[in-house]
Amino acid sequence: MSDTIATDSLFSVEERKVLHELVGMIVPSSVTHSVPGADDEIIFADILDSARANDAQIHKGIAHALSCGLGSDVPLKQLQSELEGHPAMTPLVSLVMQCYYRDERVMVSLGIEPRAPFPNGFELPQDDWSMLDAVQNRGKIWRDA
Amino acid sequence: MELRTWCRVKEINVGEDGLASGVTYFDAGGVEQFQPDNVVIMACNGVGTPRILLNSVSEQFPGGLANSSGLVGKNLMLHPYASIQGVFDEPLDGYRGPHDSIWSQEFYETGKERDFVRGFTYETTRGRGVVATALTGVHTGRIPWGAGHHDAYRKLFNRIAGVVAICEDLPEEHNTVTLDPNIKDAHGIPAPRMTYSISDNSQKMLDFAVARAPETLRAAGATDLIIEQPLAGGGWHLMDTARMGTDPQKSVVNEWGRSHDVKNLFVVDGSIFVTSAGVNPTRTIQTLALYITDQIKKRLTHLFD
Repeated sequence: MSDTIATDSLFSVEERKVLHELVGMIVPSSVTHSVPGADDEIIFADILDSARANDAQIHKGIAHALSCGLGSDVPLKQLQSELEGHPAMTPLVSLVMQCYYRDERVMVSLGIEPRAPFPNGFELPQDDWSMLDAVQNRGKIWRDA
Repeated sequence: MELRTWCRVKEINVGEDGLASGVTYFDAGGVEQFQPDNVVIMACNGVGTPRILLNSVSEQFPGGLANSSGLVGKNLMLHPYASIQGVFDEPLDGYRGPHDSIWSQEFYETGKERDFVRGFTYETTRGRGVVATALTGVHTGRIPWGAGHHDAYRKLFNRIAGVVAICEDLPEEHNTVTLDPNIKDAHGIPAPRMTYSISDNSQKMLDFAVARAPETLRAAGATDLIIEQPLAGGGWHLMDTARMGTDPQKSVVNEWGRSHDVKNLFVVDGSIFVTSAGVNPTRTIQTLALYITDQIKKRLTHLFD
């Protein structure tokens, strides 16, 4: 869950509702692959929180989606064809991809352990800097001024 | 040494003797300050350096500081890239480890049989991570929204590897950094304006790189190609705009980085490049910075002669 409280939100209740619908349309959940959609509670909270870095562009994306009929009775297929690939949607879609594909459940579904792959160990003993031995033994690679 | 962070230089000031007397800057609190000094060394790169120089207007230097040649802000060079990625059937495991690996400079030098001068470096890229694959896929239309998203993603993830070509852009005076007549930053300092178009020569390099790379990728087993040129999201390194040279009419700084016009003003960044090379510029900038500071040290007794 995000630490963001409602009064800190960049988005109104209505905007959040629209955005929630939109991200679920972009990446829906999949039973076949055992993954949540981008409208999953945790992922959506990450999207809301991460939107702060580029909120003006995200608002533009929401506005464009609304202008195309999101939230109305426009058929989903028609709505998707109008929105998908439109330049106004690019920052928002990038944000959704960034947040969705760093979700631990999604990474696990791809066969990736949700951590840096190297070194082979995971928890290094405190004060064990032996990984740097090779670097220190190499000596200086620059000359004195 | 004292490092002052969150500061922004407004201009370099000049004394009656024609030497730089220090810099006027806004501190972290937005308060205008003056820092006097005997030597000013600029390290603001291909946009920041000409911006400050052009903003440093005085009676002695009405066209901007160190600009008697008229070349401050001229000849802006970038690095247009082409990206040619192959999609392979088998998992590549390429997202583990360093992104770049082998380079090829087979087409780096001018080739008489080609219709452009100079050339480029191919940098092989091992593969893309989880997020990068998604971004590539959705923005090239290979991964759709909706129900087909997950299957399409899994056809691309861990199956992309290829090359990027970093092209040696050449200096052309119409590519410039100037001061925007209207836009100012938060401190009221005129903003830089970049004017740039890819030259015919660079475009031919890009086209050639895109034409030849698939030979290797297909031979390695690629079944599909993802091509982007110029690569929008990378490679636009900032060079020239305060070029180095021995002739004061054709360059801004001399052969050891000192301004021809202002004898205690030095530049140690990418703006002093005269060609761009088909490689990333940082190590060359570092080398030039070391070289110029060595020169300052060696010439200390007659630095301003």
